Amino acid sequence: MTVSDPRIDPKGAREDEQITTDPSNPVERMRSGSMTLSLAPWVIAAVVLAFLPMVFTNNSTLTIMNQMSITIVFALAYNMLLGQGGMLSFGHAVYAGVGGFAAMHIMNMSDFFATIPLVVLPVFAGLFGMGLAMIVGSFSTRSAGTVFAMISLGVGELIAASSVIIVAFFGGEEGISGNRTYAQPFFGVEFLQQLEVYYLTAAWVVIAAALMYLWSRTPVGRMANAVRDNPERAEFLGYSARWVRFYSFVASGFFAGVSGGLFAINYEILTEENLNTASSGVILLVTFLGGVGYFFGPIIGAIAFTLLQTVLSLSTELWAFYAGVLFVATVMFFPGGLAGLIMMHVPVFKLGKSKTLIKPYLYTLLPAAIGLLGLAALVEMTFHFRHAATGDNEMTVFWMTFDSHALIPWLIAAAVTAIGLGIAKVTAPDLREAWSEANTAGGKS
Amino acid sequence: MSTPALELTGLKKSFGKAEIIRGINLSIGKAERHAIIGPNGAGKSTLFNLITARFAPTAGTVKLHGEDLAGLEPYQINRKGLSRSFQITNIFPAMTVFENVRCALLWSQGYKYSFWHLVNRKHDLTDEAEKILNQINLLGRRNLPAGTLSYAEQRALEIGITIAGGADVIMLDEPTAGMSNTETDYITDLILTVTAGKTLIMVEHDMSVVFGLADRISVLVYGEIIATGKPEEVRANARVQEAYLGAALEADH
Repeated sequence: MTVSDPRIDPKGAREDEQITTDPSNPVERMRSGSMTLSLAPWVIAAVVLAFLPMVFTNNSTLTIMNQMSITIVFALAYNMLLGQGGMLSFGHAVYAGVGGFAAMHIMNMSDFFATIPLVVLPVFAGLFGMGLAMIVGSFSTRSAGTVFAMISLGVGELIAASSVIIVAFFGGEEGISGNRTYAQPFFGVEFLQQLEVYYLTAAWVVIAAALMYLWSRTPVGRMANAVRDNPERAEFLGYSARWVRFYSFVASGFFAGVSGGLFAINYEILTEENLNTASSGVILLVTFLGGVGYFFGPIIGAIAFTLLQTVLSLSTELWAFYAGVLFVATVMFFPGGLAGLIMMHVPVFKLGKSKTLIKPYLYTLLPAAIGLLGLAALVEMTFHFRHAATGDNEMTVFWMTFDSHALIPWLIAAAVTAIGLGIAKVTAPDLREAWSEANTAGGKS
Repeated sequence: MSTPALELTGLKKSFGKAEIIRGINLSIGKAERHAIIGPNGAGKSTLFNLITARFAPTAGTVKLHGEDLAGLEPYQINRKGLSRSFQITNIFPAMTVFENVRCALLWSQGYKYSFWHLVNRKHDLTDEAEKILNQINLLGRRNLPAGTLSYAEQRALEIGITIAGGADVIMLDEPTAGMSNTETDYITDLILTVTAGKTLIMVEHDMSVVFGLADRISVLVYGEIIATGKPEEVRANARVQEAYLGAALEADH
């Protein structure tokens, strides 16, 4: 379609309006092909999820992938509020947590649990998350913005605090544990093995993501965007901004509950940690890192964050520090998140100029990465220098073992940092130029 | 006489001690094109905001087709068939032009808060939205984000959004403000076509637009209507001449 042509000046008044698109039949063109196109990513995702366990066979990797799936569902649910509804919640973990606790209690109701297959347990968890969201949403969605954010924070703190008080439901300090295998076998599967749990979780992540995607295409989903952008205008179109927000909130609560149910199935234990403010903060971080502006943003965020959390935490105690730095950098430099970063390149690909960017990227990003690794080494050395036990001077960074109290390693790390970042700084203007060139139609390609 | 489309009785509004609207009685018939004119600060936009429940009146009533609107929210009033535009362009800038119009159609087409319909599958919605885009000459801009349109196009889009819901009472707040002469002519023609057969109430500064469009004119000065009548009557009215119109007409020509 010619409308994406960036050469058309939007302020170009009406002389050129007929050149943009063929007005005779744009609807038909939209309809044909759009179905196959929109179905493709889902099929690919399902196939990839089905075959992943054949590539990564060990149980710990399956656990990481399950953790990713749970986070994906939760982050997508969270983005129904943040990205699509414009509601910033600081306490969304309570809906996932309460859903998860409800699932644990159902697991422990052995008579009832024996009559339902484990695969439907997340539905029950979702209903509990939804029920709580209905109660809280009835007053919190009256307005968006600061009021909503403060209420969400308050309710989050309130429920997290009551988890220690209402021991019957939240199990106090130890939390609630159960056994998923007591459920009615599902076509003979009892979910004793991690692989079976993986497929259950993977199936749920596809279903939940698809449902949330479809939600965004419904009238109430479209109006959630409208209310986010301009609540007043939406009101003058016959929609109550409050009710639109309420429905988004309730739906988000349902899917957050589903993610809690999946957590319950995977870990067979829920504690206060599942619904405290820290968990609420993490999901905000995950969603923002991935990018709130695109539906798939939170998916990328969940994958990236889980990798960071699991892989990085194995190699450094400071992983949360790096995650924090990454978050701040995202907010400051890439407010569109990782998804925004990816989508930035779509016009370049459409113009067929992606190749012109490879070299400038290499020249800038490679030294920058090396410089950042040097910086990370300095951080690690400082941490070791300050916190290691006296006499324990030996440390390992990037597979190199050395004495953290000697001068040479410090000099090397500092030099790597300075040189790496220095080169990146020198080549950055070239990259910028190449970028603007790649985004301009015409010229040499 | 049949029920008027809009009837204001003793309408008053104060902000603190400042009385902005000081008792307005006005009756606007069905399918009438009514313009409200007056100097800056006369309370024209405030009057609009009172009618559409953006503000609550201090006293008095607003009746739409004989039905009192007291205590209703803007969205409820909209559902009763009153739709408005704003003095400052009020659209959904991040959404596409098409999406803007489609959102404006959802309620009136009966979709309400549905989460069991997929909007892309609803051909009636698409067709209707395209029809309106065609009417406001923005079909060529269909898939652009509304915020990237030119000012005149955004105003046209807002008119499209305002009429999309099929409201029979349309209120436009300075639809041609800040436009060049050609743009003004364009918007005036547009308003004439899209509001055919509907009740139109508009605030307008441009006297050529007012006298070209309106069946009747009300002159609002310091929160009071000093004259209401056919364009030629209002033009001839001595009080209007004195208070406002003389100066405005001179400035206009």
